[in-house]
Amino acid sequence: MAIQISFMIMGILAVFLSAAMITRKWPVTAAMLLIIIMMLLAGMYGLLGAHFSAVAQIIVYAGAIMVVFVFVIMLLNLPPEELRYGRVTLNEIILIAIGFLGALFLGTKVGQGYLTSGLNSTTLINARPPYYPAQMNENVKNVSSLLFTDYLWAFEIVSFLILAAIVGSIVIAKKAKVNDAKSS
Amino acid sequence: MMPSLPELGIYFSLLLFIVGIFGVMFRKNIIFMMLSVEIMLNAANLAFISASTLTNTIDGQVVMFFVMAVAACEAGIGLALIISLYRAKSSIEIDDLRMLRG
Repeated sequence: MAIQISFMIMGILAVFLSAAMITRKWPVTAAMLLIIIMMLLAGMYGLLGAHFSAVAQIIVYAGAIMVVFVFVIMLLNLPPEELRYGRVTLNEIILIAIGFLGALFLGTKVGQGYLTSGLNSTTLINARPPYYPAQMNENVKNVSSLLFTDYLWAFEIVSFLILAAIVGSIVIAKKAKVNDAKSS
Repeated sequence: MMPSLPELGIYFSLLLFIVGIFGVMFRKNIIFMMLSVEIMLNAANLAFISASTLTNTIDGQVVMFFVMAVAACEAGIGLALIISLYRAKSSIEIDDLRMLRG
């Protein structure tokens, strides 16, 4: 029960902080709030038993990606954006209502019905050695053994994707400077 | 009767995803839109890990690893595009970027 209460506190805090994040004026404040949200999510992953994911969330998301965000925000040196309300039209309200209902339906009924159905648990899970939550101290071992056997091709393709993203971001960010040199 | 931990995780991921959608729809600043996209990706990660705990498998945690790698690529390319657009237009408001609209 204590685990569930702390999980609920972290989740409610994450939702409220994200709602606060999208209404901030300064981008740096929003980035700092997002770092706190990611650390709360890492705590939730740890309570769910995904220890490797919790550590990777802190190192990669809150450590690496958000540093790049904060770096770019400070590099651009933006003025605070004035919040503009009163832009919501009726069509947008209808679309939001439809999307909210659809997400609620998918997230509660269909998703849980599929996840807890007998088809999934008999065919997919028994196809490979079972994973028991009692073996929490071997989480990293389980994740890595699955990552380098069944998901090996996806792993290699993701490595090429990251290489392409590195080269692409360098080319995109450098292009304006090359044009300036040519024009001048 | 309190729901179990993975069910709570799926509910929270739903709420976080909705907040991210609101951020993308109602902000006019590209940096805020990208931060909201990060919130949406985190909500998807939370749903993956909750499903992985719910089904007693570990596949969701491996997929979360891939989502994290794709999010890193998206952040790098998107921020490079923001820098390039800021050099060209001196603004990152999407109302100022309507070249493709004609």
